[in-house]
Amino acid sequence: MNQMRILDIKQSIYENNDQQADLLRQMLKDRKTFLLNLMSSPGSGKTTTLTQTINQLKNELKIGVMEADIDSDVDARKISETGVSVIQLHTGGMCHLDADMTKQGLSGLGIDELDLAILENVGNLVCPAEFDTGSSKNAMILSIPEGDDKPLKYPLMFSIADVLLINKIDVLPYFDFDLEACKDRAKKLNPNIKIIPICAKTGEGISEFADWIRKEVSEWNRY
Amino acid sequence: MIEVVQQVEAFAIENDAPKIDTLVLQIGELSSVVPEYLKKIYPMAIEHTLLEATKLEIEIIPGNGKCKVCKQVFNLLKTNGICPQCAGTDIELLSGKEFFIKEIICFDADDKDT
Repeated sequence: MNQMRILDIKQSIYENNDQQADLLRQMLKDRKTFLLNLMSSPGSGKTTTLTQTINQLKNELKIGVMEADIDSDVDARKISETGVSVIQLHTGGMCHLDADMTKQGLSGLGIDELDLAILENVGNLVCPAEFDTGSSKNAMILSIPEGDDKPLKYPLMFSIADVLLINKIDVLPYFDFDLEACKDRAKKLNPNIKIIPICAKTGEGISEFADWIRKEVSEWNRY
Repeated sequence: MIEVVQQVEAFAIENDAPKIDTLVLQIGELSSVVPEYLKKIYPMAIEHTLLEATKLEIEIIPGNGKCKVCKQVFNLLKTNGICPQCAGTDIELLSGKEFFIKEIICFDADDKDT
């Protein structure tokens, strides 16, 4: 008679991705390439913010951008106007990028050439927070029209972000958005989070973000 | 789910596992994984793999927290994250975020002792 046997596995399902992400991070470190993973909900201004930021940094850093979307190349075209190298990644319906897809994107860009690689993740505040892409640092954007309650509703995203850009600050007077309450909520989840109010359209606050990137890039390359 | 199946296949090959009967996963109440969806796509994910024709079992792990103020342990979902004893909101998460492959149950075809 056949006997039943139980084999213990006890593996986290995120483990596979986490391992790949760590390998990728090490590879990036060895080659002195800083990878910034930029996340936000759709329409919060990722591409506009990037365009402004790239324009401030492109003369001092070699930059490459990966645009991740479910479909289309609208964003990639916009970024390519800045003159930096850009590659469009299609996730084929998936709502986030994982470390393996990020690695493929990086080899498409040719990371040996780059000081700063930026991954514009799929517009989504849920799934991208769950999957480590292998990035050096995570940035997220929250725009004023989305509301100051977002840290309460999407806590994971706010707790993994190293920097929070609060975009569309120019329309603050027209919305019931409590900036201080929003900052407090984000800080409660993540005491070390750096918060920069910006307006991607006018360029307000972008130099502070660019300075943050400069500092992080030099720190990344130090060791 | 396809990744889960690949991970289990790798484990089965590595450990020389005999025919697999059931895969057991553990899913936390507070993880963003929906057990119903997993069950639905399971038959498709295992097609043409070592896990073909196996069963899927899911154990749910409760989302429990411990109040940092009064040390009460309670289910976060039932009380919306608020301590039922002192109404505190500073809670230490104990469990509920898991998404684990727990074990596989196999038929040991060679073992004919019983």
